Amino acid sequence: MTMMKKLIIIPAYNESASIKATVEEIREKAKDFDYVVINDCSTDDTRKICEEMRYNIVNLPVNLGIGGAVQTGYKYGVRNGYNLAVQVDGDGQHDPVFLGKMAEYLLKTDADMVIGSRFIEKEGFQSSGARRAGIKYFTFLIRLLTGKTVTDPTSGLRMVNRDVMEMFAQDYPKDYPEPESVVAVLRRGKKVKEIPVVMRERNGGVSSISLKKSVYYMVKVSLAILIEKIRLRGGKL
Amino acid sequence: MNFRLQVIIAIIILVALGFIINMIRKKALELRYALAWLVVGIGVLILDIFPVLMTRLAAMLGIYSPMNMLFFLGFCFSLVIIFILTVAVSRMSIRIKDLTQELALHERENKETD
Repeated sequence: MTMMKKLIIIPAYNESASIKATVEEIREKAKDFDYVVINDCSTDDTRKICEEMRYNIVNLPVNLGIGGAVQTGYKYGVRNGYNLAVQVDGDGQHDPVFLGKMAEYLLKTDADMVIGSRFIEKEGFQSSGARRAGIKYFTFLIRLLTGKTVTDPTSGLRMVNRDVMEMFAQDYPKDYPEPESVVAVLRRGKKVKEIPVVMRERNGGVSSISLKKSVYYMVKVSLAILIEKIRLRGGKL
Repeated sequence: MNFRLQVIIAIIILVALGFIINMIRKKALELRYALAWLVVGIGVLILDIFPVLMTRLAAMLGIYSPMNMLFFLGFCFSLVIIFILTVAVSRMSIRIKDLTQELALHERENKETD
């Protein structure tokens, strides 16, 4: 267990208000993890702050959106020989205190992916009613298509083993990637587990999903999940 | 369609074809994307020189007037071109994403060896 190389991927777009607190907290609470900040071409001081603090940072020269940024982290993890990787958002929503537990759980249950779920014990920040309804709908859709229950398919706090890292390094959805990538993992017959976590309200920045975009979000992710499901039948990758 | 109109259309098409071929020659236009335009240009040229083909084709498709058929085919052609472009844009955006990631990771690796 101590020989495991564990990576924390921190996608950051204009997180100058919270990136320092996020990284410092990780260093303090998740000591046996390495981390990499993926700066998605931020227009604020995110890069400057990280370089001044000598944080481990990868700077994307063009803004790719959350999917492209997270995938860069998985590519980094694959190339640098990591055994498992976990995504932690740069806005302070995710408490790194759970990372050790997640890693333990992943190894103990031999899972391929462990998701930190807000909705198992329903503690901490629970998101607004409309968002919860949307998340419930995705849970329903995923159960309908895969037969598996994922209580928090939109959670950004997810840990994966080397297999899934390699899979994500090759192919990862561009925008709103969470629910779709869970289905991609499930349909390859891999084991997805959830453990209860407590999430906080974000420190800075705004949610990537504004109300205006939520219709697009629902439609796009639903379609993406359906198409992901059909891909299996074609037998392609 | 009278003879004068036929000649005018033929001239327009020939000028357009010349323009496209010149663009390809100067590498301002990639042959693979220009191909559809060349094919349609030559097709319209043939229909222009032999209008009887247009009348027959319209009758075959059950369209009343050759003009309606022309509009219909023009519309279909536009859709095909737009679709081809959408495919090209998708492919390009994937390639740009891969390049961006590669560049960022390389930059990170180089910094390490300094």
